[in-house]
Amino acid sequence: MAASTGAADAAGSEPTGPGSSVPSMGSPTIQYSLVLEHLIGEKRPVKELNPAVMGGLPVPPKSEEQKMIERGMESCAFKAVLACVGGFVLGGAFGVFTAGIDTNVGFDPKDPLRTPTAREVLKDMGQRGMSYAKNFAIVGAMFSCTECIIESHRGKSDWKNAVYSGCVTGGAIGFRAGLKAGVLGCGGFAAFSAAIEYYLR
Amino acid sequence: MDPMKAQQLAAELEVEMMADMYNRMTNACHRKCVPPHYKEAELTKGESVCLDRCVAKYLDLHERLGRKLTELSVQDEEMMRKAAVGSG
Repeated sequence: MAASTGAADAAGSEPTGPGSSVPSMGSPTIQYSLVLEHLIGEKRPVKELNPAVMGGLPVPPKSEEQKMIERGMESCAFKAVLACVGGFVLGGAFGVFTAGIDTNVGFDPKDPLRTPTAREVLKDMGQRGMSYAKNFAIVGAMFSCTECIIESHRGKSDWKNAVYSGCVTGGAIGFRAGLKAGVLGCGGFAAFSAAIEYYLR
Repeated sequence: MDPMKAQQLAAELEVEMMADMYNRMTNACHRKCVPPHYKEAELTKGESVCLDRCVAKYLDLHERLGRKLTELSVQDEEMMRKAAVGSG
């Protein structure tokens, strides 16, 4: 709008600007366009947006490192790593527990009638625990990562995030065995997630 | 009205305007992004993402509308001036 800015400049430079179209009263007229320009228009000063100045509660400003740390802790990657580690530990415990109540641990396929030694049993328990741990870790990391991404995308925090990410995780796991298994996995895991969310909320 | 006075007036009004804008923005974004029932004190990821977007949109809106409003008010005064000159 070159014409209007030109007019505004002309108005600014002349001391008896236009807006003094109102006359003869003694009170000075306010030329709104000039004031507005300095307030919300092109000539407004660069403001430092600080809640203490603008009317919020004055809080001491956070340092850059603190902001970086907080941003890192809230990030999806960190949550996925946390879930992975947690899943690993939980899976290991669960695997060892399951191996403890299983009668087939240490079973030697070459000689089925021989009682396995303690060392063989322990080794088998460890392997089973490790296998469960890895599975749980992967599933946990995937679930947490997808849930965080979906929540960031939606901008809301409710039960639907868990259901959607449950479907994605279950579908991804089941998809390796075919499409129907993928769909079943999606439905199953989503239902499981919904139940957990219902319990937690 | 000379530009110095306009600038001074704007500087006086600005503090109040910023405080008012901050209050309105806080209210609007709180209403939009934080559901009324919550079970924990910390902001969840979804809520903080929503608040970031809300503040960015609000400030962008404020800037654009401010520019548009000053354009329109300048045009308005132009028209008034021409009418005054024409009739006077």
